[in-house]
Amino acid sequence: MSVFVIIYYTLLLGASCLAAYFNKRSAFLLLFSLTLVSFVLGIVGGVPALKFVAVSAGLLAMAAMVSYGFREFLVAISSVNMAKELRTAPLTAGFGMFVIFTYAVAGIFAPIIAPFGEAQVITSAFAPADDTMLLGADQLGRDMFSRIIYGARNTVALALAGTVLAFFLGALAGLLAATTGGLFDQFLGRMSDVIMSIPSLIFALLMLSIFGGDLANNTTSFWLLVGFAAVVGVLMVAAISESSIIGWLIGLAVMAGFATVFAGFMLTIFNPSEVILVLVVAVIYSPRVFRLTRAVAGNVVVMDYIEAAKLRGERKWYLIRREILPNSTAPLVAEFGLEFCFVFLLIAGLSFLGLGIQPPTADWGSMVRENATLISFGELTPLIPAAAIALLTVAVNFVVDWMLYRSSGLKV
Amino acid sequence: MGDILGLVAKRLGLGLIILLIISVIIFFMVELLPGDIASAVLGQGATPENLAALRKEMGLDQPAIVRYLQWLSGAVMFDFGNSIVTGESVTETIGERFANTLFLATYAAAIAVPVSIVLGVIVALLRNTIFDRVANVATLTSISSPEFFLGYILILYLAVNTGMFPAIASLREGMDFFELLHRTFLPALTLVLVVTAHMMRMTRASIINLLSSPYIEMARLKGTPPWKVIVKHALPNAWAPIINVVALNLAYLITGVVLVEVVFVYPGIGQALVDAVSKRDFPVVQACCLIFAATFILLNLAADVGAILTNPRLRHPK
Amino acid sequence: MTKKKDVLLKIRDLKIQGYSDETWVDIIKGVDLTLHRGEVMGLIGESGAGKSTIGAACMGYARDGTRIVDSTIEFDGMELTTASESDKRALRGSRIAYVAQSAAASFNPAHKLIDQHTEAPLQYRLKKRMEAQEDAMELYEKLRLPNPQEIGFRYPHQVSGGQLQRAMTAMAMSCRPDLIIFDEPTTALDVTTQIEVLSAIRDIVDEFNTAAIYITHDLAVVAQMADTIKVLLKGEEVEEAPTREMLENPQEDYTKSLWAVRGFKSPQRHRPTDGTPPLISVRNVDASYTGGEKVLDDVSFDIYEGMTVAVVGESGSGKSTTARVITGLLPPSKGEVLFKGEPFPPDYRKRTKDQLRQCQMIYQMADTALNPKVRISEIIGRPAAFYSGLKGAALKNRVDELLDLIELEPAQYYNRYPPELSGGQKQRIGIARALAAEPTFIVCDEVTSALDQLVAEGILRLLDRLQNELNLAYMFITHDLATVRSIADEVVVMQHGKVVEQGPKDEMFTPPHHPYTDLLLSSVPEMDPDWLTTLLEERGVDNVGDAASAKIDPNDPKVTGASA
Repeated sequence: MSVFVIIYYTLLLGASCLAAYFNKRSAFLLLFSLTLVSFVLGIVGGVPALKFVAVSAGLLAMAAMVSYGFREFLVAISSVNMAKELRTAPLTAGFGMFVIFTYAVAGIFAPIIAPFGEAQVITSAFAPADDTMLLGADQLGRDMFSRIIYGARNTVALALAGTVLAFFLGALAGLLAATTGGLFDQFLGRMSDVIMSIPSLIFALLMLSIFGGDLANNTTSFWLLVGFAAVVGVLMVAAISESSIIGWLIGLAVMAGFATVFAGFMLTIFNPSEVILVLVVAVIYSPRVFRLTRAVAGNVVVMDYIEAAKLRGERKWYLIRREILPNSTAPLVAEFGLEFCFVFLLIAGLSFLGLGIQPPTADWGSMVRENATLISFGELTPLIPAAAIALLTVAVNFVVDWMLYRSSGLKV
Repeated sequence: MGDILGLVAKRLGLGLIILLIISVIIFFMVELLPGDIASAVLGQGATPENLAALRKEMGLDQPAIVRYLQWLSGAVMFDFGNSIVTGESVTETIGERFANTLFLATYAAAIAVPVSIVLGVIVALLRNTIFDRVANVATLTSISSPEFFLGYILILYLAVNTGMFPAIASLREGMDFFELLHRTFLPALTLVLVVTAHMMRMTRASIINLLSSPYIEMARLKGTPPWKVIVKHALPNAWAPIINVVALNLAYLITGVVLVEVVFVYPGIGQALVDAVSKRDFPVVQACCLIFAATFILLNLAADVGAILTNPRLRHPK
Repeated sequence: MTKKKDVLLKIRDLKIQGYSDETWVDIIKGVDLTLHRGEVMGLIGESGAGKSTIGAACMGYARDGTRIVDSTIEFDGMELTTASESDKRALRGSRIAYVAQSAAASFNPAHKLIDQHTEAPLQYRLKKRMEAQEDAMELYEKLRLPNPQEIGFRYPHQVSGGQLQRAMTAMAMSCRPDLIIFDEPTTALDVTTQIEVLSAIRDIVDEFNTAAIYITHDLAVVAQMADTIKVLLKGEEVEEAPTREMLENPQEDYTKSLWAVRGFKSPQRHRPTDGTPPLISVRNVDASYTGGEKVLDDVSFDIYEGMTVAVVGESGSGKSTTARVITGLLPPSKGEVLFKGEPFPPDYRKRTKDQLRQCQMIYQMADTALNPKVRISEIIGRPAAFYSGLKGAALKNRVDELLDLIELEPAQYYNRYPPELSGGQKQRIGIARALAAEPTFIVCDEVTSALDQLVAEGILRLLDRLQNELNLAYMFITHDLATVRSIADEVVVMQHGKVVEQGPKDEMFTPPHHPYTDLLLSSVPEMDPDWLTTLLEERGVDNVGDAASAKIDPNDPKVTGASA
């Protein structure tokens, strides 16, 4: 019996007794079941197992404290209404917000935070960690830590761009379908059914196989971007100008200009193969967004106030902007988070397969793949970028979970 | 009963139409390539003679619609043409791999389905307790982790550090069944972890939804004991949602399998697809995509048909 | 009515809390209740008064998200708040039974009616299966269900709403309990169906001398059913008294206000005789929803300027569809709608701004009629800006004027959102929105049926005042004949998509009627506690409800005469 074991059980039992004494039923249940589990673990795994439990518990407690602190911090700095909402956030959501905040900082200030350049070779392959390299070097001798920081920028930016585009297309189509109804609605519904009946990863692989190789060049991606923007633009023009011919002409002209500017802008941020990745992801996920928006807007459209506005002679664009959107923001924001997770995981998966973001751009998915061989030597290194991916999706999911709970709870 | 058969037939017909449309998408997306497959295969350095020869060999001189019909009629008989990289029959290349993938998916499903349904029901009954919350956090974490993260963690702890299971799930001829199960345990477990979390959450949600219906309250107010409320009043109505959950997740498993096969170097169809995509071996890509999509649609179809068959309103029409 | 006087249920200081916004809030704030054997007590109150919560608490049952605190609930000498779960369970179904509001949702769709019926007797080993089934059939017969031998072997979705409600009452009777809780059993039913269910419930409760708690918001219904009435308001008791005493001589102001509502009556106007065309004229309209059956069949009636036409009928009679045809939401398949003698385009999208302006609508549910995320100023201001092009200060003045018109203080409401208002205030905002368009004609779709009686009366008075000031014509869709009596000038009675009778109000309320009008008029419960008894004596149990409407002879001279 080491001192550690004695302290371990004393603390656990003491805490359980305290919880029981103060009638904290759930805390007691948790602590005492942990004690019981520890008996078994201690017998099977010995002191190391107990140490593992203790370290995990310590980490959890630390995460809980950080989450609590961060939530209170947000409550303190936000407006009265916001603060009231934030107070209902569980610790998990606080943790999620904290992680998202950290990632945002890392992504935005990557060049300042990272000690070395994104593709800078500084030492030999797989050099172990030392004072200058927190996490050691990768398969080409680049600093792992710097690449992870840059990865926050590249991977997340790409996933965000994909999600935003998917939302533009899907949400616009959904809102338009809900307000228009009839054949247009049916047609879009069937189309999204078809696209959604191909598994997303498989569909992505199919499209990447086609737009890969020589096709991943500036001209192709420029025209693809223009095409995408044109589809969104036509939907937009359809919503705004309805049946007026002049409206259509002006709208289409404005749209064409906008599409070109948009395509040029996207190409200054991303390289051609990344643009194609973003578009592929946007096309695959827009039917999901469409379906959700259609459902949410569908619930609003049947309301009498929409009927009143229609009978007044209001245009679709007014209906969408003033009557439907303000009543669908909560579920749409939650869905945005959820879609972001899917998109992020899909991009990470593709990169892991070597078909997503191409080297030398630092990206978490491909970093896992590049360093995978280390795992057979018992090294943790390849797990770090993977953990970075998991941590962000977990964080977003925690926040979304809370928001979904709030928006469904308020309805009842 | 006529109504049910009609509905099921209608649903099957719809599934078939969707599959047909998907086959069109899969075939004609490749046609989108500037030039054609031949120039894509041979690259920029190809001479016109070589191109012409390859085109003739691949039948590219015929109109697209004819080639589509040929491809489709071949696909129905499981003949997907020849690989443009190796020149071998696609069916032979991926046939065995498909069987391996099915084995892995079945293995994972056999563990995941019972475990997650039981756990899901338990968590639903314990809702709003500390166990429910812990389960919520745990399942959310599991869902959010990419398959390769879970896979490598399992490799690190269960293969490299302890040596309990092999890290690479290679198969060879003449293995006995238990060795097979042992060797493929880690990839199966990875899939189980992801899918179980999904299934548990969905089962929990549908059971809770069910338990809030007025007829469950009525049963309680009739003095029915809790176990009987579940068995007699909730379960007969829970089949449809549970079937739905299972089918959806099996469909999800199909996608997850691709990444897991790569992590564990498992000789399945997923790896074949990834290889073919990076080599731009279009016949193989098309075949794999069609197979995946068909399985996906089939599972969704099974869910719909299951829901129809267990719906008392449809089983006992007015 | 002699009843044994031993106490069956004694509740003292009942407090129930509900969980909302992370804290426990009191829903029931200390209610006492004493019920004797064989007594029927009516619990009455507005929505949100906590009636159903008390009903469930009588069984020692707290719904999810609620809890019972510091109360005593004593059933036949047994304390329910401290009893174990299994002891309480042993009472439920056997000694205390429950009849829910929505029978369709409260029967398990997966089992036959009779299997659900016999579940409790088998559970308590009171009867063998065959005996229990025979008993069920007997009860079905007593409750006057058609085919009592066979109906139990159907699934819930194969049986109509009124029959399901009676089957549920039979199920509650299956163990011959001492107490049955009826939770709004007829609220979801049509008036003609309601009467059958009411008489069936009353007879069976009398026959077995069962005590009952009858929860409803309808005074006239409770007057027929209860021996004593307890009035609740926001989780607290207002007063309790025997039924007749309560009706004749209510003590508290709140109760008096409930009783006094039906006082308002607008003087009846008459059609102009100078030959001006009607404002709205519905001519031989047929209509159906896409692919469906005909919902309207040759509907014709006129609405003159400044007059109120009430359209009455049960659900599914085509009242609201008629409104949709007039507003242009559902173009008719045959016939037309004339406005001042000129044809109105059938589809609202084809109507001009001015045509749209003329015809406004006020909705039943003020909650869904006002966008919760838009300020009152914009809700009312938008039509004014849209039709009249008002802007800036002129628009603000107009909104203030409109708020004044509906008797709400402009400064106080200008910047608020609909969810912050009460039901009556929301309905007033809905009226203001309609007025903002400066219409000549307003469709009022069940505008008072979702409101509490006193508030509803205020709305009716407001509408009447506005009609006189602004010379508006109303089409008043309602199923409530009391509303018709107080505000209508002319009445149109609809059944199965046809107009069965129409005419000035005074003629419509004096016999002879079309048989359906007669049935409808006679089925509306009145405040008189002897009303049901007298009615059943006059007509016989087989001449009420669905049975009676099935018996209407299509060749009756009044029937053929009316549709011409």
